[in-house]
Amino acid sequence: MSAQERAVLQDVHVVEIASGVAGPMAACRLGDLGATVTKVESGEGDWTRGAPPFMRDGTSAAYFALNRGKRGVRIGDDDAAGRALVRRLVERADVVVTDRNTASLAAMGLAGVDDDICAWHPELVVVQISDVGRAGPQAGKPVSEVGAQAMAGYTRYVGTLGEPSIRLGADVAGCSTAIFATQAVLAALLARRANRRGQRVDLSLLNSLLSMKTVHLAAQSDPDAYEGPRVGGAYDPPERGWKTADAPITFAFGGAVGAEGRPGWTQFVEAIGLSRLLADPRFDKTGRLTTGLGPKARELKAEYEQEFVRHSAKEIVARVREFGGFASAYLTHDDLFREPQFEALDIVRQVDDDVRALAFPVKMSATRPVIRGSAPSLGQHTREIAREIGLAE
Amino acid sequence: LRVVDVSIMAAGPWVGALLGQLGAEVIKIEPPAGDGTRWVEPLQRGMGTNYMCLNLNKKGVVLDLKSATDRQVALDLAATADVFIQNFRGGVIDRLGLGYAALCAANPRIVYCSVSGFGESGPLAKEACADFIMQAYSAFARLNGRPGDELEAFRFTGFIDLTTSVVATEGVLAALLERESTGVGQKLEVSMLQAALEMQYTRVAEMLATATAPRPLGSQSAGLMPDGAYATLDGEVFVTAHDNAQWSAFCAAIERPELAHDARFATNARRVENRAALDALVVPVIRARPMIWWMRAFERHGVPCALAQHFEALRYNAQVRDNGMVADVDTGDWGRLVVGGLPWKFAATPGAIEPSPRPGADTEAVLADLTHRQAARARSA
Repeated sequence: MSAQERAVLQDVHVVEIASGVAGPMAACRLGDLGATVTKVESGEGDWTRGAPPFMRDGTSAAYFALNRGKRGVRIGDDDAAGRALVRRLVERADVVVTDRNTASLAAMGLAGVDDDICAWHPELVVVQISDVGRAGPQAGKPVSEVGAQAMAGYTRYVGTLGEPSIRLGADVAGCSTAIFATQAVLAALLARRANRRGQRVDLSLLNSLLSMKTVHLAAQSDPDAYEGPRVGGAYDPPERGWKTADAPITFAFGGAVGAEGRPGWTQFVEAIGLSRLLADPRFDKTGRLTTGLGPKARELKAEYEQEFVRHSAKEIVARVREFGGFASAYLTHDDLFREPQFEALDIVRQVDDDVRALAFPVKMSATRPVIRGSAPSLGQHTREIAREIGLAE
Repeated sequence: LRVVDVSIMAAGPWVGALLGQLGAEVIKIEPPAGDGTRWVEPLQRGMGTNYMCLNLNKKGVVLDLKSATDRQVALDLAATADVFIQNFRGGVIDRLGLGYAALCAANPRIVYCSVSGFGESGPLAKEACADFIMQAYSAFARLNGRPGDELEAFRFTGFIDLTTSVVATEGVLAALLERESTGVGQKLEVSMLQAALEMQYTRVAEMLATATAPRPLGSQSAGLMPDGAYATLDGEVFVTAHDNAQWSAFCAAIERPELAHDARFATNARRVENRAALDALVVPVIRARPMIWWMRAFERHGVPCALAQHFEALRYNAQVRDNGMVADVDTGDWGRLVVGGLPWKFAATPGAIEPSPRPGADTEAVLADLTHRQAARARSA
């Protein structure tokens, strides 16, 4: 095998003691980069095992995607052999990814593993994920995906003020924490090369969402005026784009915000049959204020829609692009998967006879992540791994 | 570690900021006309808050990449760098002579991070993109709304941009680690499209495995029950039971312990199937008491729960502060700014958050340092 074909994390052993989205997804992506991942579960196991929808064989689709490519061990309550197994696994590991707290880790026989540097394994990188942070008055408080979205103020930017809250349907707290956790492991492994020292890295769902909110935090710090499109979104009505004959679209001339404007707007409105807007004093001649996130876009939406509803989304999107603006229909997932662009990027990979999974999210010219199939059933590899590391059953 | 960042707006620049927060020296190269985010509203004392928060931990250099002299300087700087970040629209960077082939020839160790909207191949490769465009294209918006709604955009622009940045940073770190064994860098292509799908990892997985399109469910989810916002006497409480233990605890907290033994709700899958029946029992109970009551009750029973918070509450929240989840930066001329905190807290090698530079503030120093490096290299050659 040439140097190029060697996986980045080829010799890296990861022990994952985590449930849900964040920890398992991070460990899964480390596995895609070549790490050997062993998942440790106790009790009923990872709660995503019980989360619908289920695949034909009864496996949870989310559980499968989050845990493919791993081997799994289960330890019971009051299970000395199980604790010995986990301890031995961690002693041989390079990385632990966990969402367990200090007490829970100690109860598994891993006391001290989440010290700043683990005294009994100083080279170990430990990524510890909590819900709302390791310190502070609410340390240890359990909060879910939707709870983290609410605490971080995300639910204020969807739905309608005064009506029941809605969430972001994507697991943004879990997935963003998974991405940050993967970064943390890679960065800590880089740092370890210098001095052979590992360390603990803390992450939390709430912290991830607030880090990802930096644009909005900055915008609300002490603004000169509250007229920008990025502030006040919490009180705006739901945003569903511009209606067409079929799917709604969103489009912009003049960049998203702020920029000088793209010259194509006048030609676009002429081509689409809206020349009358050229003489309408409410419309600037670049489209900057009335398209995209422009401050007048919402109020003047109906003016565009009068003509848009006569055309398909596809047609209008093509027209906008033709004149240098940017646009997209609000695609469904089915639509997206049929797009030539989606095909061209090779975004999904076949991992099993009838299962596909998302490829590694970065296309790398030298590194070749491998998207592995098959997720472990609860405790599937407990014996096998016990034998491998020299522990009798 | 040294990073040269010629990207503008959001998705590219935040990659440099994150690498800076991990300890890299990051040189932001900006055109004389300025990065557009300087004028994106809102402004704080005249400077775009986006510019300030997306360019933390950088040195500011102004170069005119349209001039041959400045292009050479940029190329020389890139030759001294470990990472190069760019997000020009398709093909532009090659015309500027700063494409991967050119940089790799000058510096084979370079990790070249190229950020785009739709990727670098395919029919949309040259299309420009923006956060709200990708929310629509990637179907991210199709996951949001009340039950029965078709879609709703996240009115929190920049989220997909920043998602692209974090995915790119993951790639850069993987490539740097790879370089430790191979000795050479590589080119990374990061698209907003793939990043937006990574943020939908679980929903896309469900769709790929079951061919069932995900749909909006208000504050609830397809995978868990109960899991969402429940109205109380005076506001909403966000509560979730992930497994049977938390379900039993939930039943105890709402003083309906018999529900834990109800066959309709015996497993999470059964609870999801009987969503309406479960809510019919639970909603009136929770509505009868105030949200703080429920917070105490759920907390006492170890049930995940939370209240919604707005900016002013978050900004001074002890939990947020004690964990450094937001940070205050003193930008000098533009006043104090609240930004997102470090996403990772390294126990042994903590990062730091430094204010963004005044545009071009470090041009002279960075160019003088480049001259020194070149002289040193000439001497040793």
